[in-house]
Amino acid sequence: MSTVSIRNVSKAFGESVVLREFNETFGDGEFVTLLGPSGCGKTTMLRIIAGFEKPTTGELYIDDQLVSGGKTFVPPEKRSIGMVFQSYAVWPHMNVFDNVAYPLVIKKQNKEQIRERVNRALEIVHLTKYANRFPNQMSGGQQQRVALARALVAAPKLLLLDEPLSNLDAKLRESMRFEIKDIQKQLGITVVYVTHDQTEAMAMSDRIFLINRGIVQQSGTPQEIYNQPVNQFVADFLGKVDFFKGEVKNGRIELTSMGGQSIPYDGPRTGKVEVAIRPENLYFASDGPLKGKLEIQYYLGDVDDCRVRIGDELVRVIASGYEYYKLQEGQEVSLGIRDFLVFDDDGMLDQMLTIQT
Amino acid sequence: MPSVDKRGEIVCKATLIVIFLIGVALLLGGLWGNGQYEAAGFSQENAFSLIHRLAGETDRLYEKKIAPALKASGADPAAVGEISRTLISSAWKTGEPLEVTLKGLSGEKLTERELKLLAMTYALSGPKIKTSQRKQLAALSGDEQNDLLKALLLNAVGETEKLAGAAEELCKGLEGEERTAMLMQVFMTTANLDGEPLSSNTVTEIKKAVRTDEMRITAYIWAAEGRVNWLSQLFCSAGKTFALIGILLMLDVAILFFWLKAERVWKLDFKWLIILLIVDFLLVFQVLPTVNMVVKAFFPESRFSLSTITRLYTYDLNLSALKNTLIAATCTMILGTLLAFPLAWLVGRTNLYGKRFFRSLFVLTYMVPPYVGAMAWLRLLNPNVGNINLALRAVFGLGDAPGPLNIYSLPGLVWVLTTFYYPYAFITVSRAMEKMDPSLEEASRISGASPLKTVAKITFPMMTPSLIAGALLVFVSAASCYGIPSIIGAPGRVHTVTTRIIDYVGRGSEGMNDATGLGVFLMVIAIIILYISDFVVAKRQYITVSGKSTTPNIVDLGKWRAPITALVSLFAVIVILIPFATILITSFKVDLGKSLLDEGNFTFKQWTTIFSYDEMIECLKNSFIFAIITATIGIVVACTMSYLLQRTTIRGRKLPDFLITLGSGTPSVVIALSLILSMRGDFGINIYKTAYIMIIAYTIKYLMMGMRTVVSAMSQIHISLEECSQISGATWLKTMFKITGPLIFPSIAAGWFLIFIPSFYELSMTTLLYGNGTKTIGFELYEYWTFTSQPMACAMAFAILMIVVVLNFVLNKLTKGEFSI
Repeated sequence: MSTVSIRNVSKAFGESVVLREFNETFGDGEFVTLLGPSGCGKTTMLRIIAGFEKPTTGELYIDDQLVSGGKTFVPPEKRSIGMVFQSYAVWPHMNVFDNVAYPLVIKKQNKEQIRERVNRALEIVHLTKYANRFPNQMSGGQQQRVALARALVAAPKLLLLDEPLSNLDAKLRESMRFEIKDIQKQLGITVVYVTHDQTEAMAMSDRIFLINRGIVQQSGTPQEIYNQPVNQFVADFLGKVDFFKGEVKNGRIELTSMGGQSIPYDGPRTGKVEVAIRPENLYFASDGPLKGKLEIQYYLGDVDDCRVRIGDELVRVIASGYEYYKLQEGQEVSLGIRDFLVFDDDGMLDQMLTIQT
Repeated sequence: MPSVDKRGEIVCKATLIVIFLIGVALLLGGLWGNGQYEAAGFSQENAFSLIHRLAGETDRLYEKKIAPALKASGADPAAVGEISRTLISSAWKTGEPLEVTLKGLSGEKLTERELKLLAMTYALSGPKIKTSQRKQLAALSGDEQNDLLKALLLNAVGETEKLAGAAEELCKGLEGEERTAMLMQVFMTTANLDGEPLSSNTVTEIKKAVRTDEMRITAYIWAAEGRVNWLSQLFCSAGKTFALIGILLMLDVAILFFWLKAERVWKLDFKWLIILLIVDFLLVFQVLPTVNMVVKAFFPESRFSLSTITRLYTYDLNLSALKNTLIAATCTMILGTLLAFPLAWLVGRTNLYGKRFFRSLFVLTYMVPPYVGAMAWLRLLNPNVGNINLALRAVFGLGDAPGPLNIYSLPGLVWVLTTFYYPYAFITVSRAMEKMDPSLEEASRISGASPLKTVAKITFPMMTPSLIAGALLVFVSAASCYGIPSIIGAPGRVHTVTTRIIDYVGRGSEGMNDATGLGVFLMVIAIIILYISDFVVAKRQYITVSGKSTTPNIVDLGKWRAPITALVSLFAVIVILIPFATILITSFKVDLGKSLLDEGNFTFKQWTTIFSYDEMIECLKNSFIFAIITATIGIVVACTMSYLLQRTTIRGRKLPDFLITLGSGTPSVVIALSLILSMRGDFGINIYKTAYIMIIAYTIKYLMMGMRTVVSAMSQIHISLEECSQISGATWLKTMFKITGPLIFPSIAAGWFLIFIPSFYELSMTTLLYGNGTKTIGFELYEYWTFTSQPMACAMAFAILMIVVVLNFVLNKLTKGEFSI
């Protein structure tokens, strides 16, 4: 129930610029995810919101009140924010109850009220039974919940989460994902979530901000970002994708490396282009536009991950696991295509990849 | 394959039994040998091996010369024997007991024994032969010698035969027994292969080892009879040593048995050999001496008695020493911790100006010998001529009366102790602060707490265990410090337990007993503190897993930044700059009482002396050699232990670790005192006043410093780095050299220096352990300060300081800035 407006925020540590001209507004009750590879500047943005870093230039408003910018700086303790840290930061010298009660104790609330609110917070994270435990007697997942309860106990309007799930094992991570989302809906608070895990981002977010090299590449709903990526980097970062060079000719795109085979196209671009195909958008058809030879099948149970030789390319096709039994390696196949993306062939993708590595 | 296991088990058990039996045999043999030695009443244990040597030499003499001559002469052996016996009796002049012993000399080889005994007797005392004549006799050719020997024997029994020139000369004018005696002396001299009656070396040594004539004749008869064989001489002359080795072997087997039993697999591991070697070393040189010291304190005359203890602890001087020690240590602990926490926080967690500089400055004090500080403060706060006192008097117009401040007092002692021991707490606390995950503090800020409140509620409580550990370290170091109280306390009659102990030891054997009584007190304090800090507090130390390595939270001091920096600088000036400057200035003075700027009061004499005076160079050389050896032994053990602790799961690896911790926690004075008590031969080891005892003492005290450094470095290298090297085809040894070695080299170098530096300028232990030729620079400095020349001592102190600083610089370069002290 809080808005965060970021106006032209840049941040540099010495010579290295980690954030450039960040300009966004996170809406009321929204679940926003800052997604990107490590070192992209997403954590710095979060720490600027929290007040642990000052922006080099630009302003930050929380609920239309200036908190960082110019000569104004509201320290973290005055911002009424809840935050969960990657390392949980559960204080080892306090038990669970005291950890969670801390924000209320600092606010000098009365004991009855504290007890009541702590118990409610513990209830939300399913830790009621553990109130008297010390952190070293708890598992990573439980400590993570303590951190969450502590962040929620003072009923902040804004909750910041800094890769809260990255130290948990895969199963727990998956269930915590939904729990956090649940709690957010239940309390209706604004959440800013930082992660490098695209699945996490897709599963939880109302809006995703995909950041690379300190610049927001694209923002939008998970569907928008996945299906309408604005550039090759976005397409590549989310989900699986293969890129092929081609040329638009007479309403078709001729794929150079596939021995000149072509796919139908009625879009605006002309001349040399780059085609991005997600493997799950290819399917085995009786008479599709692409013809090749099935080279390898990896049977993964739910899907059949195949490689089809077309011209010089080994094209990845993710088909239903059921297909495995109908096909044989070495067999001539024909591929249909549900959807694909076309970018200008301006070498931008290659540039992006170089930066990544 | 069970059958192989079974066979392995049998081999293993058999080995253990055999080693155990060897241990038993050595113990019994040692006890028997020691019994023999004590029963014989010889004054040196090596008497038995000398007897054995003497017997060997006489045997050869008899076989090669005497026996052939006797045979060739055709003289009646019984008659020769009879004459020998008479001569022996008169030579010894001991009367009755000798007659009795000689009567016992009988049996088949009677004549042989009598002749051997005579040979030995005459080697010790007998008619004198001039050296020139001895040379003439020795110059005879082989045949001539044989003829002479024959003739001498015949003449002795009365059948006259012509003697060769020199021999004739010697016997001229002698009658009766005197003549016979001379004849036999010439016989023995000629018989011996090089013209000397037996080897003079052996004879002089045996004279020293066996004091009275009665005992000597017994010793000679044993030699003549060949009663001491090589085995018994071994056991008799080092009985205690053998018994000690025997006990150690038995103990080792017992420990091994215990481990194997817990392991349930009866297979001996080479690593246990290494562990047991370290354990045995520490048992002998650390555990045994301390236990012995406690026993001596409570069993002063081999009987349980509290007399020493009661006497000691009712004596006023000692009581005040105990009181002073406890008060000084407690005050130092409180003051030191009060200084250390804010300093560590300011340097580690705020935007204080020049915090890196301050950090290395405070840590550097840790490496300065404490007595240097005492010397400086004495110059500054001497009630009569102390520079600060002079200045205060001038400023406040207090006249010429002494004071206002007096270093020769308990507060003075506390002040100097504090300035030199607060770095212990500072280092402990800043290490913990550096390791603390910054998000723990950030979580508090975001929860609404201000930076100060965060320090109070989060940082400080989380630091408490480290703070307590640091405080206890300061306490025990202050309580067991000798350098500072000996320089400040003694003139002011402020005694502490350490100075009392060293006073008592100075009084010789009687004072020794009293020293042990006080030593026990110091040790008990140290052990209690060690127990609390290592086994209670350490368990509560909060280990926080740091996620992302964000830089530690820096608290903005805001408008207080400059004032606080000024305050810290003032502190550094008072505690570090002024004392060191005083030392440097004093080192150039001619007259202590005058200012350096006064006419003719400036000299380089002290500085030229310390680098040219032989005695000084000798001491410097000793210090370097001992410290290098100690550091090298220490780092080898440290690396071995780190490997065992970090890379193996072998049972018993924590045992040496425990003993080493215990050793370094023991006050220096106690280590030295207990070594003196036990290493003077009582347990078969006599290394008193040698370099060995000093190196051993230093090793016990400082080994842990090096070990901790290497262990922590090794714990930070993930095992996968080594496994990856091995999977790439490198052998274990190659992996150690190519991967692990280079990675932990900085820590190894740092560990080496951490042992080297305190060993280099050590004083407390050296005071008790030095001997002729093993004086070190620290002790020499102390002597100069106390007895000869304070400016000289200051020059030496500053030279030591320079060495420490230069070494620190070398270390820094060597480890590419990763380590400095």
